[in-house]
Amino acid sequence: MDTSSPSVFVNGALLRRFVGQKVRTVIQVMGSDMGSVVGKSTDDLQIFVRGSPPPSLTTYLEVIGIADSENSIRAEVWTNFGDSFDALNYNELCKLANGEFKHLFI
Amino acid sequence: MENSVTQDGIATVLSNQSLDSSSVRPEIVVQIVDLKAVVNRYTFNANDGKMKIKATLPATLTSDIISGKIQNLGLIRLLAYTVNEIPGKSEEKYMLVTKCEAVAPALDSEIKSESKASTGITLKPKQEFVAKSASQIINEQRGNAAPAARMAMTRRVHPLVSLNPYQGSWTIKVRVTNKGVMRTYKNARGEGCVFNVELTDEEGTQIQATMFNAAAQKFYDIFQTGKVYYISRGSLKLANKQFKTVQNDYELTLSENSEVEEARNEEMFVPEIKFNFVPIDELGAYVNQKELIDVIGVVQSVSPTMSIRRRNDNEMIPKRDITLADESKKTVVVSLWNDLATGLGQELLDMADQHPVIAIKSLKVGDFQGVSLSTISRSNVVINPDSPEATKLKSWYDSEGKETSMSAIGSGMSPSANNGSRSMYADRVCLSHFTSNPSLGEDKPVFFSTRAYISFIKPDQTMWYRACKTCNKKVTEAMDSGYWCEGCQKKDEECSLRYIMAVKVSDSTGETWFSAFNDEAEKIIGCSADELNQLKSEEGEVNEFQTKLKEATWSAHLFRVSVSQQEYNSEKRQRITVKGVSPIDFAAETRLLLQDISKNKTSQ
Repeated sequence: MDTSSPSVFVNGALLRRFVGQKVRTVIQVMGSDMGSVVGKSTDDLQIFVRGSPPPSLTTYLEVIGIADSENSIRAEVWTNFGDSFDALNYNELCKLANGEFKHLFI
Repeated sequence: MENSVTQDGIATVLSNQSLDSSSVRPEIVVQIVDLKAVVNRYTFNANDGKMKIKATLPATLTSDIISGKIQNLGLIRLLAYTVNEIPGKSEEKYMLVTKCEAVAPALDSEIKSESKASTGITLKPKQEFVAKSASQIINEQRGNAAPAARMAMTRRVHPLVSLNPYQGSWTIKVRVTNKGVMRTYKNARGEGCVFNVELTDEEGTQIQATMFNAAAQKFYDIFQTGKVYYISRGSLKLANKQFKTVQNDYELTLSENSEVEEARNEEMFVPEIKFNFVPIDELGAYVNQKELIDVIGVVQSVSPTMSIRRRNDNEMIPKRDITLADESKKTVVVSLWNDLATGLGQELLDMADQHPVIAIKSLKVGDFQGVSLSTISRSNVVINPDSPEATKLKSWYDSEGKETSMSAIGSGMSPSANNGSRSMYADRVCLSHFTSNPSLGEDKPVFFSTRAYISFIKPDQTMWYRACKTCNKKVTEAMDSGYWCEGCQKKDEECSLRYIMAVKVSDSTGETWFSAFNDEAEKIIGCSADELNQLKSEEGEVNEFQTKLKEATWSAHLFRVSVSQQEYNSEKRQRITVKGVSPIDFAAETRLLLQDISKNKTSQ
């Protein structure tokens, strides 16, 4: 596992704490065009993802990249997460990973 | 004159028909005689040695009476009162005492003017000051004490919470808050009857009491819901968690020799309903359990009544569904049945748009729609309860809850595969639960769910037996050809193989052996015993039989297991049998883990 450049698990609300840093999140795709994807975070906030998305997208999409602003990410890695994904669980994971269990995450 | 009454005190009272604490205070000390409890307060005759007047004490002073601060034959100073006429009897008056203070404990006797006038001595209080309970006061009044009062006199009343099996004699004072029906049973030792009651004491602690046969006959008519009893000489034992309906580690068994006496004419306490709320998002763990739970929630919606035909007797019963939400942002449907559906349900429907908070005691958790709640005959519903939980919930709802999007707890919670009647998310344990409790299942088999990996399947064990194709019983090879089934008493040319195997399972807490029979073993191995036997008999470079077993190893499943004790070489051994296997639903498992994390956090 590459630990040289860790990415923080975030939801929409946590994104603003990591502007300029590497993050990972899962969004529900709302719309996309050539250079960007608009999606809904697991806590129901809108997130813009820039970069070059893969040609076909599933309902849920994981992106890893640098947080541009409090609601946008410049993505380097795009992974389709399929059409059934438990957003609630992911959201709780983000909260725990940035809360009192932060020490367990890199 | 500390211990005497005010001369002509009653006459003063009658001439100053009301007194409040602010006005100039004529010093009036009177003696309390004939103190008795009437419904929720006490009445007495105020005595000044010459005259008496009927009087009542406010309910706020009830605790002083119970604690013995204010006693019959004792003296009180009147601080505030009003005098009223008794309707219809204008010449008779009574005094409503609103404020008073105790001056002296019980005197030897009622103050009589003669003794006072003739001797002029002050009356002495009794030598020792004894705190008296309400029942003692009543006992004094009644002279020839009622048995119930006697029982309270001679023995201290124990709070239910203090009872344990190692204690000698005790007496409890309890209200019957639920009475079961008399049931008859039949078992190896014969027939019998049994019934139980739920008892609640003043502090709200509950315990279940069970009576069998003669004791059941004896006490069935004595125990009445809502009445208060003194009980002694019962035996305590650990409560069976599978069947317990009240929060108590112990349960009570009453025998014929137990003493049960109704507490009559006494200060009747009304036990508080004690709630033990389970947040909606943690209901999953209680699905299809015997244990009853309490919830509190904001009413989201109320359905009209529906009529449901009961399966066993075809009777139509009314039902109404209400949806509750709480701070976990989850909603759950509660089905109200019978009177709760028609009476209280209608009331809720009328006020549904105000989103009242309701607390419900004793609900069953079912797996209909994933997770749902149902009232039973003893469920108790309180609308807008006056409790900190309710206030907190209401303010959460008013501030943010209204706008929050909620999801039903049941969605996505329903277990993925057939796993018997119970949910795979109930009574979940780790393997260490079995290994660290060698006596588990001693009395009767106990059931659990566990998530574990198959870690080893011994290839050279006897994995199957030859079974009759009709009854699945073991068959023996017949003399000439074919197989003989003892069960069916007939011969068949063919038989089928059925699994009976031992598998080693592991999780992060330990490892143990499970026994698996045909259907469950098929799910573990991934093919039937006949197919596996076929693979075993095929010889070749690659042994497909070994491969199949290897493939089955290190895969995780959800197991439903029963744990029992088996005698083996006159030694007791734990035997864990697989009753159900289902694939892992990762989202549901994650949710369960999140629940555990939040549970651990709150318990720390």
